[in-house]
This record gives sequence, C-alpha cells and structure tokens, in this order.
Amino acid sequence: MSVQLTRADSYRVATVIATDDDNRTADGHFKSRRKMPAKAAKKENLDDLKQELDIDHHKISPEDLYQRFQTHPENGLSHAKAKENLERDGPNALTPPKQTPEWVKFCKNLFGGFAMLLWIGAILCFVAYSIQATTSEEPADDNLYLGIVLSAVVIVTGIFSYYQESKSSKIMESFKNMVPQFATVIREGEKLTLRAEDLVLGDVVEVKFGDRIPADIRIIEARNFKVDNSSLTGESEPQSRGAEFTHENPLETKNLAFFSTNAVEGTAKGVVISCGDHTVMGRIAGLASGLDTGETPIAKEIHHFIHLITGVAVFLGVTFFVIAFILGYHWLDAVIFLIGIIVANVPEGLLATVTVCLTLTAKRMASKNCLVKNLEAVETLGSTSTICSDKTGTLTQNRMTVAHMWFDNQIIEADTTEDQSGVQYDRTSPGFKALSRIATLCNRAEFKGGQDGVPILKKEVSGDASEAALLKCMELALGDVMNIRKRNRKIAEVPFNSTNKYQVSIHETEDTNDPRYLLVMKGAPERILERCSTIFINGKEKVLDEEMKEAFNNAYMELGGLGERVLGFCDFMLPSDKYPTGYKFNTDDINFPIDNLRFVGLMSMIDPPRAAVPDAVAKCRSAGIKVIMVTGDHPITAKAIAKSVGIISEGNETIEDIAQRLNIPVSEVNPREAKAAVVHGAELRDVSSDQLDEILRYHTEIVFARTSPQQKLIIVEGCQRMGAIVAVTGDGVNDSPALKKADIGVAMGIAGSDVSKQAADMILLDDNFASIVTGVEEGRLIFDNLKKSIAYTLTSNIPEISPFLAFILCDIPLPLGTVTILCIDLGTDMVPAISLAYEHAEADIMKRPPRDPFNDKLVNSRLISMAYGQIGMIQAAAGFFVYFVIMAENGFLPMKLFGIRKMWDSKAVNDLTDSYGQEWTYRDRKTLEYTCHTAFFISIVVVQWADLIICKTRRNSIFHQGMRNWALNFGLVFETVLAAFLSYCPGMDKGLRMYPLKLVWWFPAIPFMLAIFVYDETRRFYLRRNPGGWLEQETYY
Amino acid sequence: MPTITEDCIDGFQQYYARPLERPKKKSFKQMIYDDEDNSYFGRTIDSWAKIGTFYFAFYGVLGALVAICMWAFFQTLDPRIPKWTLDSSIIGTNPGLGFRPLPPVDNVESTLIWYKGTQHENYKHWTDSLDDFLAVYKVPGLTPGRGQNIYNCDYNQPPPKGQVCDVDIKSWSPCTKENNYSYHKSSPCIFLKLNKIYDWRPDFYNSSQDLPAAMPENLKTYIADIEKKEAHKLNTIWVSCEGENPADQENIGPVNYLPIRGFPGYFYPYQNSEGYLSPLVAVHFQRPKRGIIINIECKAWARNIVHDRKERIGSVHYELLID
Repeated sequence: MSVQLTRADSYRVATVIATDDDNRTADGHFKSRRKMPAKAAKKENLDDLKQELDIDHHKISPEDLYQRFQTHPENGLSHAKAKENLERDGPNALTPPKQTPEWVKFCKNLFGGFAMLLWIGAILCFVAYSIQATTSEEPADDNLYLGIVLSAVVIVTGIFSYYQESKSSKIMESFKNMVPQFATVIREGEKLTLRAEDLVLGDVVEVKFGDRIPADIRIIEARNFKVDNSSLTGESEPQSRGAEFTHENPLETKNLAFFSTNAVEGTAKGVVISCGDHTVMGRIAGLASGLDTGETPIAKEIHHFIHLITGVAVFLGVTFFVIAFILGYHWLDAVIFLIGIIVANVPEGLLATVTVCLTLTAKRMASKNCLVKNLEAVETLGSTSTICSDKTGTLTQNRMTVAHMWFDNQIIEADTTEDQSGVQYDRTSPGFKALSRIATLCNRAEFKGGQDGVPILKKEVSGDASEAALLKCMELALGDVMNIRKRNRKIAEVPFNSTNKYQVSIHETEDTNDPRYLLVMKGAPERILERCSTIFINGKEKVLDEEMKEAFNNAYMELGGLGERVLGFCDFMLPSDKYPTGYKFNTDDINFPIDNLRFVGLMSMIDPPRAAVPDAVAKCRSAGIKVIMVTGDHPITAKAIAKSVGIISEGNETIEDIAQRLNIPVSEVNPREAKAAVVHGAELRDVSSDQLDEILRYHTEIVFARTSPQQKLIIVEGCQRMGAIVAVTGDGVNDSPALKKADIGVAMGIAGSDVSKQAADMILLDDNFASIVTGVEEGRLIFDNLKKSIAYTLTSNIPEISPFLAFILCDIPLPLGTVTILCIDLGTDMVPAISLAYEHAEADIMKRPPRDPFNDKLVNSRLISMAYGQIGMIQAAAGFFVYFVIMAENGFLPMKLFGIRKMWDSKAVNDLTDSYGQEWTYRDRKTLEYTCHTAFFISIVVVQWADLIICKTRRNSIFHQGMRNWALNFGLVFETVLAAFLSYCPGMDKGLRMYPLKLVWWFPAIPFMLAIFVYDETRRFYLRRNPGGWLEQETYY
Repeated sequence: MPTITEDCIDGFQQYYARPLERPKKKSFKQMIYDDEDNSYFGRTIDSWAKIGTFYFAFYGVLGALVAICMWAFFQTLDPRIPKWTLDSSIIGTNPGLGFRPLPPVDNVESTLIWYKGTQHENYKHWTDSLDDFLAVYKVPGLTPGRGQNIYNCDYNQPPPKGQVCDVDIKSWSPCTKENNYSYHKSSPCIFLKLNKIYDWRPDFYNSSQDLPAAMPENLKTYIADIEKKEAHKLNTIWVSCEGENPADQENIGPVNYLPIRGFPGYFYPYQNSEGYLSPLVAVHFQRPKRGIIINIECKAWARNIVHDRKERIGSVHYELLID
C-alpha cells in the first residue's frame, strides 16, 4: 500500500488489513500494533469505534480473499508467514485496558475529599508540637496527640473508602475469559491445534459445534453450520452460516462468524480476517472500556458539598488566622486556632456515614432482586429520569407463546399470561381440531427430559422458538403431545428451509380404519395459501375463493399488525389409491402433492410482556420517568409490545398513525403532533445529533427498533445531552458500551452475558423490569434520607465552631476542645446519622418527578441555612449556656471570663482569682475547663436528640411519622450511653480529657432541646399549611 | 373515579412537560449585583429584607430564651458563697501558692524575675508592681468593705464571723517600699501568698515530732525552735523556698522569711468576708548568686497540702536572675 494515510486512518488501516507490509516503518522494522497513536488521535479513534462496522472481507470473492491474506484454502498459511504475521500483529487476544495502579487509587482516597483539610490540620499539629518541643522544656503533648488522632482518622476513612472502591467492576477480566483456549488450524497443509492467542490473519481454521469461534472468520466451507450470535447482536435464535455472501452488513451476512460467539450446530472452515482488538467483539470491548463514564450524580453532589464545606472551612480558618494576628496573638496560637477551626468545620464522619447509608440501601435492594455493584449507583437509580429498556427478556418473558389463532374465519385469542390466568377458548370445534392436529404433528420440537414437575410453559424445549411455542400451546390444549405423535407416526418430512419457507410431514393417522396418509404443512402464510385450493370452515371444506382470500388477508394483516409472527397451516389426506400403505415417499425428489391442499388456519406467536411490567411502566410514568424502548426487533413487534405494556399509551399516535387516520402522506404530518414515535434503526443511521435531540424532546413515548449497539450508545448520549439521567438495561455484549455510558447500566442476571454484567452498575437478578422500579424507589428514598442525615450531621458543626470563635474573639477559656469535637463527629453522631437511612418515606415518593440534577442539590443553601443558621445556633446557645453555668457554679461568673484567656492559659499563673475571691492553680483551672468541654459535649448530645427527631421528617409532623424507626431509637440510646461512658469511665480524664459531670449539668441543655423540637414542629406546620410559601422557599431542604 | 393509568398519565404529562434547565453560570460581577433581576448577592432587596427580618426575629427569640435561662440560673446563685465548695467544687482542697512581683503582662507565660541590681530604671517594674500589689494592704479603703470589720487577730484570738484579720505590713522590714524591697541591693524580696479556697481549713504541722521526711531540715529546726519558744504559734502553714536543683540550692544563698516563716492559722478558713486580705510571707533572698538563673520552688506545708512540682500544686515555681 503506497497510499498516503492520515493519522486518523491508521486505525482503519489496522482493521482493514490489505497486505503485510503496510505496517512497516521506513527502516524495515515492524511497528508495534499496540502502540496507540498520540493522545490527540485517541478521541478520533473512539469516534471511529462508534462508526458502524465497515469492512469488505465478506464481499470480495474467495480468490481475492486468499490473495489478500496470502493464504490457501487447503494448505493454509506457511509457518514463516504465520510467524511474521504474529510478530506484526501480536497475539490474538484483547488488550486489557490501562488500569490505574492500585497505589494511585489508594492515594486518591487518602488525599481526596476532606482528607486534604485534615492532613493540613494534622501537619499543623505536628509543626506546632515540634516548635513547642524545641522551645519549651516541658511541651504539652496535646498537639502531638491531636496530630496523631487526625492522621489516624484520615487513614482509617481512606482505607474504608478504598476498600469499597476496590470491589468495583473489572470489565476486561471477563473478556479475557471469553477468549477460546484452543483452535484447529491448517498450516502448510497440516492440521494443528494451537492456542487461540497464536492465530494470525489469514489462518485457515476449522470450527465444529460446541466451539467458540476463535477470531472473526470468513467462512469458506460449511456443513449445516449454525452460530449463536446472541452475545453480540442480542438475536437469540441460532443462525445458519455458509459460504455465500448474502448481505452488505457484515453482521448480517452469512459468510462471517465472529470472535467469541458460539458454534451450536455443524462444522465450518474459514479464513481468519481479523483478530484480537480488531474483531467486532474487540471493538465493542474497546468501546466499552474507552468510554468516559463521568461522575455519578451522587458523586457530583458529594463533591459539590465537599467544596462548599471546604470553602467555609478555609474562609473561616484564614479569616480568624488573620484576626488572631491583628488581635496580637502569638503566631503559634494562631496556628492552633486554625487547626481547631478546620477540625470543627470538617464533618469527619460524614463521608463514612454516606457510604454506610448507601451500603445499607444496596443490601436492601439486593433483597429485592437489584444487585448493585457500584455503591453510588444506588442513588443514581433514584435520580433516573429516563430508562432505555431492552425489550426481549426485560419487558417480555423471552419465550415465544402462541397469542392468536385464526380458523373458521375468526380470530381466537390464546392465553399468553405466565400463569395461564387468561381467557380460555373453545377447543371442541372441528376447525381447532384440524389446526391443532397440524400444529402437533408438523413440529419437530420436543420437551427436554427430566422436567416432570415444571409447569408446561416453563419447560425447556429443544428446537426452534416458534415450534416450541406451538408445542407448549398444544400440550396445554390437548395434553400429551408426544403420545399423539406416537399414535400418528411420521413417515416422511421435509424440514423448513429459507427458500421454500414451509415444512411438510406425512403421517399415518390414528384412525386405523382409514388407510390414507395425512400430509401436514406449515410455513409462511402467503406461501401456504398459494398451495391451497380449498379452505376448511366450520367443519366443511369450501373452495378458496376471492372472498375467503380477502378474509385470510385481513386476518393475516391484523395479526401481523400486532407484531406477531404468523404461521399458516394446511393439510391434505392423500388419496389411498395413489398413495397406498407402504408408499415410498421421497423427500429429496418430491413424489407427493404439495399443491391444491386444504387451508386450515393461522397461528400467531409473540414474546408476551411480563405480567408485572405494565404496572411498573405506569409507576415510572407517575414518577415522571420516561421509558424508552430500544430493541433490535422489528418495529411492528416493538410497537405492539410497547402498546401492550404502556410505553406507548392508549390514544397516543405515532406520525404514521396520524398519517393513516387522516389519510395523508407521512411527510405532511407535523411531527410535533405525535406524542409517540417508532424510530427505525435505518432512519437513525442518517439522523444528526440535533435531529435525534428533537425526536427525544418532542416525543414523550419513543420506541427505537432495529437498532445496533452503536446506535444504542448514540441514543443514550442523546438523552444525556438533554440533561436526563439515563438508566439502560441490556443483556448482550453488544449492550455493554451503552451500559457503560449510561448513568446507570442495568444488566440481566439470568439472561445477561458476563461482559454486560461487568459493564453494568446494577444487575437485575430476576431480569424483571419491575425490579428497576423498586430500585428507583429505594434510590429516591436514600437521597431524601441522605439529606436528612447530612442536615443532622452538619447541625452540630455550629456548636463545634462557635467555641473557637468565642475563644478568639471574647478571650474566654476554650469551651470545647478539638478532641471532644472528634468525639462528636466520629462517635456520638455516627450511629444516629446512619440510622436515618432506615427512615421510611414521608409520602409516596413515586408520585413526584425525578430529581432535577441541576437545581435540586443534596446540600443546598436552605439545608445550610437550617442546619447552620437556625438549629445549629440553638445548639450553640445550649452549649454556651451549660459552659457558663458550670463556670459560674464553680466560681467564675460570666463577666469574669471575658478577657481572662491569657491568664487562664498561662502555666505561670498559679493563683487566678475567681468571682468569689478563690484562687485557682493552673491544674485546677484546666480541670474546670475540661469539665466544661465535657459538659459542652454532653449538651450537644442532648440537643442532638431533638435534632435527630426533627430530621426524621422534612415536611410531616413527627406525630404523623411516628417513632417506629428502631435503628434510630437505638441511635438515640447509643449516643447517650456513649456520651455517658466518655464522661464517667475512669481513665477518660487522662485519655481524652473528659471529666465526670454532676448529674445536674445534663439539664441546662434541656430547654434548648425543647426549643429545637417546638421550633421545627412549628416550622413544618406552616410548611404544610402554606405549600410553596416563603417559609418553604427559604427553609425546605 | 379516574383509573390508575389515567392518574399516571396526568402525572406524567404534568411532570415530564418541563425541560430541564441548567442554571446559568454567573460572572463574579453578576454575583454581587445582577441587573437582570436586580439582585445583590443572589437576592433582591425585598428578599434580603424578608430573610433579614426572619433571622432578626429568630435570633431575638433565641436571645430571649438564653436571657431567661441565664436569669433563672442566677436566681440559684449566692453572691458570696460559691455554689460548690471544696471537694464538690473543681477547685478541690489543695491550695497552690502565688508569688509577687509577676513579670510584665505581655510576658504572661514567664515566671522569671530578671533585673540589673543597681539601676533603678531596671528594677522599677518589679518594685512598682509590688507597690500596686501591696497598696490594698497599706490603704484599707482600697478594699471594699475593709475598715470597720478589721479585727486584731492572734493565734488565740481568731476573728469572729464577719470580721477579717489585719496584715501587719511593718513587720516586713527590710522588704518595704521605702527600702525598694531591697531590690537595689541585689537581695530582692518576693512575696508569697496561699491560694484562697472558700471554707478550706488547714491541718497544721503543729508538732516537731510529726513532720514529713520531705520537709527541709532548716524548716524542721525552725518548727522545733518555735515549739520551744512560742508554742502558740504552731498553728501556722509553714513555708519553705529552696533551689530546685543542687546547683540552685547552692546559688540561692541564705533566705529570710518575714514576718514569720508561714501563714498564721487564724486567717483560715477563708469565707469571702468583705475586706479579707490574704496573709503574706516576704521571702528575702539575702545573697543570691548573680548572673545565673536560679530555679526556686516554694512550698506551703500543712498536713492537707499535697505537693507536685509538675502540676504546681501546694507550691509555686519561679526563677530569679540578677545581673
């Protein structure tokens, strides 16, 4: 290849290999295939991947193919050539994605979030300590101690979140497992068994049933060869493959088989046309792992919140650092203030609380068949505003079932429900008997053995899906089908093939008096009709006239319009004179009549929707969630299912429906008039992203049919462009890019491929769409409860910060120490905050629209205003009141305290006078101060009781909500017991500087506790009285 | 009665109709004042007024609540007697000692008494500070309530209730203002006082037979001496000042205690009577070594006073440096 290529083309060149030397550098060395182009080209590569598959290996003649790969159909490649190719292209395996080293991940956890602030605090502590240690003879080890505690806090929370994260998905590992181990290859005329990794372009390989296809191959010889492409295309039926080129689209042509799909029948021989990352599967894997998934909504919210709190902490810290300087403090004191402010500002335990809350919900969801792989996805599901759902298996039962029959010129509805609770039909009419006889006999499907206890519909069947449907239908209608077949022994059979489109078999009849043979035939209705001259109606055989043909056509159209797969049935009693007993029927050279038969009826099949789905879709709608169906199926089938489950609601029309109703061409219909739309994959291929946006914006009910995996990805991106948070369900490998790209990818636990499970954030264990809705409910609940939890935790920040500010500004002895702050944040506040995750919903959360990700924040200014400005202030008042009470009762009246700080904290002053003339030594003063810290701490616990109870509800009265959350009640007891333990346990005075309190010192906070309770009950009373009022705008978080 | 599906569809139309709006990114200037909606810092003046009024009222009520609680609390306090005393109070029953003069206020962490012996300017701070400290002892009018209720106490004449004992300042000589407290002679006087603890009663070492081993020998002999000569004075909280380390003990030189070596027992218990003044002991370092820091620890001695150098209880620590 001497053509000049641009960089962007390099990928395609690598894919569409023409000759062997195009990858050489000027000096003759082989370029490494693995060497990716520079970063600038990376984006282009990704876009390239999103393009439809564009190769021509299937179009060219076999001779050209051998020429291109310098191979031979019988002898294969030479060893030398194979070696050369292997060196050039590398092994036939998927490149694992570049992984972030574990230590980098660990460091991210260790230094992300609040960790940086706490590290600064810890470092400042160590600096302060080392300065004190060098300048003073007997340094106070408070700072060393605090520094160690802070570092421990950061490290422990870092390890905790790292542990949570390390459980997350490892997508490529399952791809690795998919690479087949061995392959049979012909080289230099010899058959070799090689490791699949050693395959190279141009190798001639042999594949037999049961094998995994070792690479993408062009088939040159095939015997009855069928592959299961379901992991690639989602098509669940095995597809026959042969040497003939049948379709432009490489995925649909018969002469290509793809890497990692399964051969289910027959054998084949083929030439390897691409391997490793360049296979179709490799491209999808690359697409999935190359996708930037972005942050989950909850991660965004938490970052937003961290920024907010860090901002406040840095602002306050720096401001008071400067103020301390202006007030003439020693710089070391200013540093210590800074540490205090940082520690007080950062809710140390909050991120762990959030993680635990999410874990709890994840567990609860797992018990409801939603297995969540990525913790943050728990909430994502709650904010979901669009669900792009697969059809097969998710919305439907993934089981072809007979839905309708047409005989005696009327359409009969069969029962399609999972539990056979639907309507029953008349099974005695001669028309049904004739039809059922054909359906029973002209059918090769059989139940698999060993399923005695299983309900008929759930039994596994060997054979093709429609035949299985017929078999089950007949088993239900007639009873033991196998016995009937035994009584009507099969003499000869012509199996179904795609050219004649029918299936014929000849049977002896069970009527021993009748020596005639019975010929039964089923197939494509129009082909069957062509072969008939009479029709069996109401027990009489009539000439098939135009009128009857019209009736047939109407029925066929109607059933077809329901999206059902229709089969025609006819039979013929072979006259015994021409075909006596023992007549040799020849199926290759047909020696019996297959024309002028007797038409009996039609049967139509569909994969019916799951029972719970229509309700679930309705629930989604009431919850403001748009449900979009994306399927590889035919538009008509897709639309029928969409209508039956309510994705397209009754009375809503598509453009085509409007056109049909008004009898005008489609192009004249104003697209905006149609609420519903069915979009064909072929149309989507030509649509620009703007047009796609328009479709998504103006139609509320959308079905995408005949879509390819790449298109699914484009649809997801389109929804995301509109600001929607998108959940995508999928089961095949082909879905994995969309699953990865979606805000939340939902894989199917039963039908899903491993790759899709790896790419997804959540797995539905029962494959049921309805489980998603439960998930959404849990997700919404946890978002509400996280708000409550955060409101609860943040409130205690004010009584933690204000002592420091008062200490600096009013020169009073410190009312609350840093260690006690940590005891609140990491001790008493933790369990109650977590217990809020167990809180029940206040109202029906599925009757409100999804969260608006731009305006409805987890932590908004109203929450801050409530927590900091109102409840926090009451709490701080309580704390200070207790502080002044204890100081005054021991001798220091409040007025005496202002301005006393320097004397108080000076070790040199051994005789500080109080308001009663008593003189205090340094030690006694400090004991008094630490007792005040303990009391301030206890008072925060007391007011947090009320805070916890008011945080249970955001709008309802607590009397309405009740106290049935036992986790929370336990939390109340726990924090009290812990606080008492910290205060009264012997040795705490040495360890944590906590001193035992007199019982009466628990009480001064109680009026404030009641005030919090009364204030918030009143506030919520007015919220309920005036919905949308000023109070709601300012205080409803 | 609409069916559930109709209900849902209504809800659906109502909810999904709105397209999501991304909040506009505002410039810094717009954050301060946005002329689009005439808002300052994100709120219109009207809105600021409303939220301001709300918070004003909120904090007003909160302030009132604090005030009520404080008022109610103060009703439970006695102006002269602390709510908790002795062991029920955190102050406990182990008084410390205090010394005067103190180093300057801006050097509050220091306990070093440092001056150049001969220059008046240099020791002025120390003598001035002692002048201030002792002023209340000289002029009774400076202490509220002192004057009428001064009682001439003695070991066998404890003051009746409501009366306070006089402190005789003349017996401190040569540690007097007129003598510059002997600072100019490089033999400074340091005044010691025992911390007042409401209702604390000392348990005196009133027998030379029963003295602790840790007590300095010279104090032991002093007590024995008193026992012989003036046995009624044994009810005294004894005082000792020593160098902390062996080197300091050498450098400290002879120490004289004025007027007696301790705090007379009749000053106790302290009951916050009007005009009460602590008894003082003037410690006169007669020949301290110059040009070197001397670490001095003074202890008060009574059976119910425990000493701990690190915690500074029952004792006081200071350094002396005379250039």
